Amino acid sequence: MPLDDVTNTVDEYCNRLWKALHKLPGSERDEIVREVRGHILERVEAEPKVTEQVLTEILRAVGDPKELASEYEGYAALRQATHSRSPWVLLRATLRWAATSVVGVMAFLATVIGYGCGTVFFLSAFLKPMFPSRIGLWLAPQHTLCFGYWNGQVSGTVLYGISVRPPAFVLGTLGPTDGPVRELLGAWLSPVAVFCGVLCFLATSLVARWFIARFKPRRNGVRHSLTRCRTPILTTNTKRNPTTGHLAATPAKREWRNFLARWL
Amino acid sequence: MIHSMARYSASKPSSDLWEAQLRKGSLEMAILASLWKSNHYGLEILHALDGRSSLALAEGTLYLILNRLKNDGAVESKWVDAGTGHPRKYYWLTEEGRERLRAMTRFWIQFSADLNVLLEPVIARKERINAAR
Repeated sequence: MPLDDVTNTVDEYCNRLWKALHKLPGSERDEIVREVRGHILERVEAEPKVTEQVLTEILRAVGDPKELASEYEGYAALRQATHSRSPWVLLRATLRWAATSVVGVMAFLATVIGYGCGTVFFLSAFLKPMFPSRIGLWLAPQHTLCFGYWNGQVSGTVLYGISVRPPAFVLGTLGPTDGPVRELLGAWLSPVAVFCGVLCFLATSLVARWFIARFKPRRNGVRHSLTRCRTPILTTNTKRNPTTGHLAATPAKREWRNFLARWL
Repeated sequence: MIHSMARYSASKPSSDLWEAQLRKGSLEMAILASLWKSNHYGLEILHALDGRSSLALAEGTLYLILNRLKNDGAVESKWVDAGTGHPRKYYWLTEEGRERLRAMTRFWIQFSADLNVLLEPVIARKERINAAR
């Protein structure tokens, strides 16, 4: 196979990879492509005779550019999410993660529910002045407490928002039920809703970031086992504080403390 | 290979999935171990792993893992002009990477020893069957 054709094929592969990595920062993107290109050329040089079939086999072994880029981007999204407070970044990262693992699904659900509740609180605060008799904190039959919108009917009551009917928790629609409903907060609703909304968003971001930092997917599962393991292997590493004589915090506790320290 | 095996389908036998998971879980340790003695570039690491068929992995995946290890501070890298017409990116273990590999190794030794104790009756039965033949 002529050298020009080899170079063109390798360049075409690298171009596809470079385009597929469009979500990564430019320098990181260049670095990855440069390294993969170097790898392909090394493999080509090591072959005694480069035919089209050999070259195709080398490129196949490196992997499909789109799949490779998707793995790089998935990891980059999680890495970015551990330093981000943006709900959008955290939602996207956990959604991507949810496609690959059960822990990811849990993290995504927790994030959706948390931000969902925050959104209900903010919407309630915003809509209260427009629908003062329909938005509120409602005490409904069967010990149901609902923060959100009431359809205004005593018979066939439907509540939209965050509802708690012990032991159930509902984010969405609850009803229809029969019986009177009573509003509990009145004019206090807006400030309380804003406060709860802010709290929900902050707490959800905090939990999502901790989830990602603690359980983010790795090629190796040993690290997490190490932090949870209680066998003597780890106790050989256990250190004591020279002043207090107390045992040093476990890696998981240290991680959590550092994490809180960054936020508070 | 690992890369494609990890993308398993529900139709695969569970033993295959188990093998894939086990390999996947050990790759990071294998890559760190391949850098224990000296600095290597990607293809050299791949050759070190390829020599042991159970550790073979998709070539693109290797760079993803190295990238991740670098971000975690376990390895460092540097471009070196090797006189081949294109530079090579050499990797080496940082002190943190060495400590991490030591911890992994300690865990692995304990883990495999515990598992071997449990597997003893299975191994002994297999040996008895072989002896009977």
